[in-house]
Amino acid sequence: MDPHNLEYINDLLDKDAELREKIKDQVTEFDKKTRTINGMLNKIHSTPTDKIPALLDNAVPVLESCRDITAALSELIPPNQFWRWKDMWSISLRNAVFASTLIEFLKSGALLTLPRSAEVLGIKEEWQDRFSLSVEDYLHALISLVNELSRLAVNAVTLGDYEQPIRISVFVKDIFAGFSMLNLKNDTLRRRYDSLKYDIKKIEEVVYDVSLRKLAPSAAKGDPLAK
Amino acid sequence: MSTVASSPAVATLSSRDSIVNVFDTFRDELDDYHDRRERLIKSSRDVTNLSKKVIFLLHRMMTEDASESDDHALSMRAVSRAKEKLRDIQKLFAGMREEVAGDKFWRYQRNVSPGLQEYIEALSFARYLEFRTLISYDEVQKTISDEDGKPYFPLPMEDYLLGLADLTGELMRYAISSISRRGGRSKASEVCVFVRGLTIDFEVFVPSFRELRKKQQVTSQSLEKIEDVAYAIAVRSSEYDLPPELLDDIVDRTVSTAAYGGNRDERDRRRRGGRGREDEFDEGDDD
Repeated sequence: MDPHNLEYINDLLDKDAELREKIKDQVTEFDKKTRTINGMLNKIHSTPTDKIPALLDNAVPVLESCRDITAALSELIPPNQFWRWKDMWSISLRNAVFASTLIEFLKSGALLTLPRSAEVLGIKEEWQDRFSLSVEDYLHALISLVNELSRLAVNAVTLGDYEQPIRISVFVKDIFAGFSMLNLKNDTLRRRYDSLKYDIKKIEEVVYDVSLRKLAPSAAKGDPLAK
Repeated sequence: MSTVASSPAVATLSSRDSIVNVFDTFRDELDDYHDRRERLIKSSRDVTNLSKKVIFLLHRMMTEDASESDDHALSMRAVSRAKEKLRDIQKLFAGMREEVAGDKFWRYQRNVSPGLQEYIEALSFARYLEFRTLISYDEVQKTISDEDGKPYFPLPMEDYLLGLADLTGELMRYAISSISRRGGRSKASEVCVFVRGLTIDFEVFVPSFRELRKKQQVTSQSLEKIEDVAYAIAVRSSEYDLPPELLDDIVDRTVSTAAYGGNRDERDRRRRGGRGREDEFDEGDDD
């Protein structure tokens, strides 16, 4: 191989390796943060409903500190190379989006949109080709959200909140209706989507138990979300 | 804390209709991704097929015409035919340009890469036959760029290197199949030197690309194979006190006798050969 070409290749590979290391450093931080948040959010399963807002208020600042990470990543990624590197942080990003949507649901009972989820993490429109929140990552986060809510439906009842399962049931069914609009191919998203029905079944059983025993206020059944 | 939901009108969705509407746009986006992916996989497959044809063409033309003694002329003829076909492939790449514009290229890189690697293999094989040199990264990129030198898409270093790793396989095949031709042994050893040098250069890239490791192993094996052949020839030819050209003649005649349905025993005897002399060829079966 002629020396010029060899040098060019080595140079390029070195730069890539260096970039990969820098991204990895950020992703490690990102991962730590999302683990911290999700650790905090895990307490929803053992926190009475009236104490939950305080818990969320603690989690939000950590979530917002992820903005430093997304900003750093958007600086690192060369133009047009978003898709080349995104696998490195997909898991952390999905976890962060999952946390944002969970917090939003617990606060308002509504679904945080994709653009708003990106905004929460400080992701800017103009980073589009370097760092953005893809539909795929957002949908993965929503599936995690449903997984988590099916668990919360059970635990809320244990803590004496009989309305939560009904709120969750309505919300999750709306999301499921959304997912059934998609033409999913045989990929991980598809497999995770297929698992949603078990979550829904679990939530249904909780709602059934609660309704049967007349534990939930009947108003909640007629107008579940009571906006 | 108002950060998570400061403008509820657009920030959150709380009715089934609004959620389903948003998923409608997700569907369009996912469909676009899957459709584009399918189209690119198809194009990549077309590129692979055409590239394979170029490689076969080169092998065929370099070995079929036994009467051609001028190796250079043979190469040039093969290469010029190959170049025409390579241009057709380059047109396919030009056609992909729009599909992978902007940040899209890296999203579909894995779908494009099989064809791209096969193309690089064919292109670099033709380049080797023409100039006995290795095509550089820049030169490959230039072949997938428009007249103004604007790339249709960036050439991933990985595809360049993996394409070249496959080139070594083609070169080994070429060396083996030409070994029986006039001047074939020197050609084979020339190829060996080239491939060996390339393998050494590649060793430093192995940690960067997992796939390269496997290919390096295959190359080492083929190198060993051809080294064995070269060894056998060296040992046998030492038994003959002949200049290489005369040895060529012997090999050539043996091969053509075989090709014209010559006496098998005679060939065997010759291969076992004692003190081979040209005059021996005229002797009858006296053993």
